Amino acid sequence: MTFEQVLFFVLAAVALASGLGVILFRNAVYSMLSLILNLLSLAFFFLMLNGMFIATIQVLIYAGAVMVLFLFVVTMLTSDDARVGGPDRLRWQWGAGFLLAVIFAGALSLALLQGTVARDACTLDPQGCLAAQVAKNGNTETFGLALFHAYSFPFEVTSVLLVIAVLGAVVLGQRALRAGREAPVEQNGAAEREPEEASNAR
Amino acid sequence: MPVSAYLIVSALLFTIGAVGVLVRRNPLVMFMSIELMLNAVNLSFMAFARFLNSVEGWIFVFLVLTVAAAEVVVGLAIIVSIFRSRRNIDVDELNLLKG
Repeated sequence: MTFEQVLFFVLAAVALASGLGVILFRNAVYSMLSLILNLLSLAFFFLMLNGMFIATIQVLIYAGAVMVLFLFVVTMLTSDDARVGGPDRLRWQWGAGFLLAVIFAGALSLALLQGTVARDACTLDPQGCLAAQVAKNGNTETFGLALFHAYSFPFEVTSVLLVIAVLGAVVLGQRALRAGREAPVEQNGAAEREPEEASNAR
Repeated sequence: MPVSAYLIVSALLFTIGAVGVLVRRNPLVMFMSIELMLNAVNLSFMAFARFLNSVEGWIFVFLVLTVAAAEVVVGLAIIVSIFRSRRNIDVDELNLLKG
């Protein structure tokens, strides 16, 4: 076995084990940490696939920024473990879920093993393919050239998406803030009154 | 390693994520499972970019990262606001379908 194969199998084992950890840990904080380990192992996979820039932003943005935000919310909402717990009324879901998982994974693997490999772009265009460009311009430059020349429109659409997401989060957070400031009794009263008003209006 | 090895790891990770969405009751863990699925697909994109020698795979991974960040921001805001109004985020309990 070459070094690359050993590395691949170790990383695959770490990625799959931490992926299983995400769904099997009872405590959501452990699931979260397991997910971060999974994202880091995927960053190593990206490095093995010559995607240095993508591996870097995977670590910085995903395993860094997004997961910190996630961890804040998880620790805020699971301060006492009893809230999501109690008797599971839909226990059969686990059996059905794993049955569907076996079928799904089998079908995907079958499709992958039976599929034919598409043509390598370097056989068609030895100058413009990814390996040649990375050798000529470097990894990050290749990505930047592609992003700002051929794919500048999707990049701009991305900025609109981010603005919409930020505005949406602000609006949702504001409503939550207002609900939090009111006295909880009043809020329950309002929630109870609402159906009556609705029926009166009808 | 051949491209199919990476794709099979990706398929297994995607399956784990799908099972997580199906069986878990904590919406935060369901969200993590969605992240797991997005990352499994990212691994496929990177493998295809490497083995087909085209930069489109990288561009797609970049866009998926952005969409995932936006999705996490909005989804967590929704979960926090559900938690503040009900003190309970078990998805099996959220069955009223009214404000």
